[in-house]
Amino acid sequence: MRKIFLIVRKDMKRRLRSPVSVICMLLIPLGLTLIVGLVFGRHGEVELSHIKVLLADNDGGMAANFFKQGMKQGKLAELIDVVEVDSAEGLSLMNRGKASALIEIPKGFTSSVLDGKSTQIDLVKNPRESFLPMIVEEITGTMTVMIGGAVRVFHEPIQETRSMLAADRWPTPDELAGLLASAGPRIALVKDYVADTLITLTSRTDEAPAEKPAGTFNFFAYIMPGSILIGLLFISEITMRDILREREAGTLDRIFAGPVRSAHVIAGKVLSAFAITLASCLLLILIGRIAFSIEWGPPLELFALVVGSILMCVGIMAFLFGFIKSERGADAMLPVVIIVICIFGGAMFPYEVMGPAMQKAARFSPAFWVIDGLKLVSIEKAGWGGIWRHLAIVYGIGAITCAAGAARLRVRLTGQK
Amino acid sequence: MIEVRGLAKSFGDVQALSGVDFAVGEGEIFGFLGPNGAGKTTTISIIAGLLGADSGTVRVNGMDIAKDGTRVRQILGVVPQDIALYEELTARENLHFWGGLYGLAGKKLRGETDRVLEIVGLSDRADDPVREYSGGMKRRLNLSAGLIHGPKVILLDEPTLGIDPQARLNILDIIRNGVSGGMTAVYTTHYLEEAEKLCSRIAIIDHGKILAQGTLAELVMLAGEGSVVTVTGAFSSAQVSPLLKGITVEHFGDGSLRMMIPGRSELSGALGRLFSAGIPIEDVSIREPSLEGVFMKLTGRELRD
Repeated sequence: MRKIFLIVRKDMKRRLRSPVSVICMLLIPLGLTLIVGLVFGRHGEVELSHIKVLLADNDGGMAANFFKQGMKQGKLAELIDVVEVDSAEGLSLMNRGKASALIEIPKGFTSSVLDGKSTQIDLVKNPRESFLPMIVEEITGTMTVMIGGAVRVFHEPIQETRSMLAADRWPTPDELAGLLASAGPRIALVKDYVADTLITLTSRTDEAPAEKPAGTFNFFAYIMPGSILIGLLFISEITMRDILREREAGTLDRIFAGPVRSAHVIAGKVLSAFAITLASCLLLILIGRIAFSIEWGPPLELFALVVGSILMCVGIMAFLFGFIKSERGADAMLPVVIIVICIFGGAMFPYEVMGPAMQKAARFSPAFWVIDGLKLVSIEKAGWGGIWRHLAIVYGIGAITCAAGAARLRVRLTGQK
Repeated sequence: MIEVRGLAKSFGDVQALSGVDFAVGEGEIFGFLGPNGAGKTTTISIIAGLLGADSGTVRVNGMDIAKDGTRVRQILGVVPQDIALYEELTARENLHFWGGLYGLAGKKLRGETDRVLEIVGLSDRADDPVREYSGGMKRRLNLSAGLIHGPKVILLDEPTLGIDPQARLNILDIIRNGVSGGMTAVYTTHYLEEAEKLCSRIAIIDHGKILAQGTLAELVMLAGEGSVVTVTGAFSSAQVSPLLKGITVEHFGDGSLRMMIPGRSELSGALGRLFSAGIPIEDVSIREPSLEGVFMKLTGRELRD
């Protein structure tokens, strides 16, 4: 045990004295988060994949139509694909996960709105998506506030127009001027009405998470879990690569020339890679909190997920380094492996914007379970119940790859004896 | 202290060692002399337990390396050919690590570290990172890392490779002093003068086989080496040749003569006859028998080939 500790301490000291490579690897996730967050989160100049929203209009009236047209106008049309369905079809599609949300406009919606009576719009969110349904919820909520406010403010002009429309004639220019003149002062009252909405939005998720996300949505929190995983994979790669470096420098042979078992050396190397990657990850999380204001969610669940993720990353690298003979080989092979793992797992392109086939494939990437778990904890504030499957998979892969990696490294390091 | 019998090792089609036998007594410095690729490092690596032999046995202090590897390695010190140190760490930190692996700890570890730093003359630079050291300083620290735990046997694989003559002499002194304290050393080199100066016995190895072994005098005798005498002057071969019956003449020309003379008495006899005959001699040079000559005789090539 003391020999393992000596190896870990020595490697930690070396890394502290020569931190450039780890710092560079830390800059990758931070840079990615910053760039992607700024591009997608603030400017929106890069087109996002459309969010599919089902809309069941059981009313068919003017207000419902106004709502539908609002969802299809301007910038919203670039973000949302509204597909009109009936309620049964909508629920069926939602049950099969074919859309991010279903909006149901109830029968009598228009008359309730025009009569100034309270009414509601139902929103059903897809539980398999964490982020896109929240966007739909925000947009729908804003629309209900706008319609409700407008109806309250323009109640009298609307009633006058309603009688004219009911009489099957258009207003004359004089009547129209009168309507506009009476509407002017009411616009100043808008702010007094928006807090007291006429239309209530009720939303539900079929398998609702235990705890609802609190506060406003932080786009960086959506990006950073994937970036962190990229960083973890690269940092565990450069720390495990030390086995090759020590071998080429002759220090590994010198260790083996002493009264040291191969198990000591392998355990020492894996533990030092784990410790350095863990320290780096905690630093990334801290920077995420300070620089990007990310609320990381329940700390114990987060820590458990982080530890499992690092175990998995180090295990994967230990296994791969069991087959790689030289640094040149590592240079050629590992970046490709890491990028493939990250792309399939949704670290580079969010899972939600992938096509259905890629979404299915993502679940076979270990990265998906780390990223999705981190998003659940940080965005949804999920507890143990929400991430138990992620933990089981991440720890399972970690245990298997660590064991297989240690066995393979043992063969590689002592096979010549 | 070390007994090697019938050692053989191949790497694919290349036979690196073939039937290597030798024994090293306690307190002895045993030299392994051979060109690059002769099998020196392979032999050292097998004794250190870093390589497994295809056949043969290695016993150190009565223990078989194949059966008691960990116990054998506890009493062995290894100084590899390459400088195997952590450049980011200081000399003291390096020695603490290497000493710690051999079970040294606390006051004992600190004391031994100071002792070996003193021996190799690095006490004043002990807390500087190794990356700031010169080549010679690194070589000395490399040596001290093999001495930190006070091994009974030290395996030195070309420990003076690539350093200046002054630093080389320094390292040879350290090894000589270490052995005078009772340590046994196996020293591989391809510097003839190092083997001549340092080693009590020498094995000449080439193509994985030991060609000869013994003290320098034994090797000279074994190879039939003698003094090489070169005579120059205003003489012709016809004048001189009748006076050199029974002497091996390597080169004969007008005004120049090179001959191999096995012993002192034959040397004085031959030169006496030349002077008595009034042969006009301008210069006589004598090259004593050396390891280089022995090596050439045994391998048919120079060591640097």
